Amino acid sequence: MASPAMPTVLNLSLGDALDREDASLLQCRRISRTIGIIGPNDAGKTSLVAGVYDLLQGGPVAGVGFAGSSTLIGFEKICHDARAASRRDAPHTERTSAGAEATFFHLDLRPTGGEVMSLFIGDRSGEDYLAAADDLARAGDFFEIRRADVVTLLVNGEHMVSSEHRHEAKSATPQIVDALVEARALRRGSHLAIVLTKEDCVLASANADRAHREFEELVEAVRDNHVGYLGEVGSFIVAASPRDVTLVKRGEGVDQLLSFWLAAAPAPRAVLRQKSESSRMIDLLDTNEDLAE
Amino acid sequence: MSGDPDISIIGLPESGKTTLLAAIWHMVREAGSVTALKFDGLSQGNYEHVSALAKRWRAGKRQQRTQTSGMKVVSMRLRTAQGRSVEVSFPDMPGEDFSGMWEKREVDQAMVETLEAKAIVLIVNGDTIKFPAWIVEQMAIAKGAGIDPAEVDLVDWSPHLAPTQVQVVELLQFLMTGDLFVGPRRLAVLISAWDEVEGDGLDPEEVLATKLPLLDQYLRNGRDPWTWRVWGVSAQGGVYEDQDKGEQLEATAALRDLDRPSDRIKVVEGKTVSTDITLPLEWLIG
Repeated sequence: MASPAMPTVLNLSLGDALDREDASLLQCRRISRTIGIIGPNDAGKTSLVAGVYDLLQGGPVAGVGFAGSSTLIGFEKICHDARAASRRDAPHTERTSAGAEATFFHLDLRPTGGEVMSLFIGDRSGEDYLAAADDLARAGDFFEIRRADVVTLLVNGEHMVSSEHRHEAKSATPQIVDALVEARALRRGSHLAIVLTKEDCVLASANADRAHREFEELVEAVRDNHVGYLGEVGSFIVAASPRDVTLVKRGEGVDQLLSFWLAAAPAPRAVLRQKSESSRMIDLLDTNEDLAE
Repeated sequence: MSGDPDISIIGLPESGKTTLLAAIWHMVREAGSVTALKFDGLSQGNYEHVSALAKRWRAGKRQQRTQTSGMKVVSMRLRTAQGRSVEVSFPDMPGEDFSGMWEKREVDQAMVETLEAKAIVLIVNGDTIKFPAWIVEQMAIAKGAGIDPAEVDLVDWSPHLAPTQVQVVELLQFLMTGDLFVGPRRLAVLISAWDEVEGDGLDPEEVLATKLPLLDQYLRNGRDPWTWRVWGVSAQGGVYEDQDKGEQLEATAALRDLDRPSDRIKVVEGKTVSTDITLPLEWLIG
């Protein structure tokens, strides 16, 4: 019998954003933080993920240095439309497809004087999260939010200064949190970062002060409503990929958000089941949460 | 060859891998040259390829691009200052094989064994580093200069557009994961075309930190077990002529006027400058 031919090439890792299983495997290797980012379409979710990576291209960010990544191709893809190589005349970001499974971007980072930590940033369409506010059953699918140590909720700054969208932005944000808490998609003790995005648009508006004030009121309302359930609730203002750098610099505020992500103590996990049919970390987490609730 | 140190030279296309080999081969055999590693006699093997490389190098002619099919292994027996004789082999691999690892996410099986060497030379051409550049910052500069953006076709994403430092970090990560993982390794980072870089007044570590900050962070933060050092290397000393184009350059003629070809070489570590191109190899052999 002829022996099977030796493959002529060795396949290397694809470097794209990770699916749930691959993220779970990597998560076992070292201390990690998982970040779920929630926001309506065009709130700047992908720009924020790309912005963290792109700031590291220039050196450490807030004392945190790059130590490696399994998703360099994924990062490069989402950065492209803000880079000069795209030949665009303004930064642009593709939307994440609605209905697709969430994926994870991965960075290994080393804070000054600390150990290397793995950061996993979940990516899912904003439409899917918005739909959960109207249909709690859909929130059960958000495994990246259930496993998150820090959930990051984006508020579109461009909408906060728009007379047409302002009230909707102010209403939708707490409603999404309410829905995720109600559906227990957000774990007890999870930390929450509420982020006003597109600060360049806010500052360019005559309504900047009002938008900042209303944003802080919104954050306070979420804190008050979920005190005792959520962990720390932080507020941040960022311009991850501004269209103009007259009033802000590229990546403004992203360093503080990154520090919050890494400093947050892991949200408490339930006690592991003695026997599980699955060895996947994400599945263990899911079943444990079921037990905990 | 089993048990002898193997050193793999890796780098993206046009990084200077072949020129480095030519300069090493010339220098260890040049009469009167002072080097940390010395030529220790011919052994069994075919030296036609490396001799041809050294001949072009001495004549001040640019090396032809390494053939993209087939890999040539250059082996040489060298003697350390302690009198130890070591046979060192350098696979001469085309840069396209390395850019293919980034772009196609695969590597030819024939290259796998050579990529398992415990000592690696990574060459990055300091004069052709592709930096990340952002639209918003370019537009601000154009606006400040009163230049309106031109109408141009948009460019879709392609892996070859990635900054040099991203591609190089991925190459090193490949060598520390999966089937290519062989445990801790030594890494000599050589920033080539140093004669073009040194005008900035930075030493090699400073160049690494300022021109390749992602690579600098990756190495310094030590997630992967590299023991590494960085050198600036000018293996030519200046511009060489392109024989295919019939070039005849005054700058090359000036290099040829030096008494010894090895005087063209510059090897910089920290503030120390030398012509001894074997210093990184001596450190790699340990």
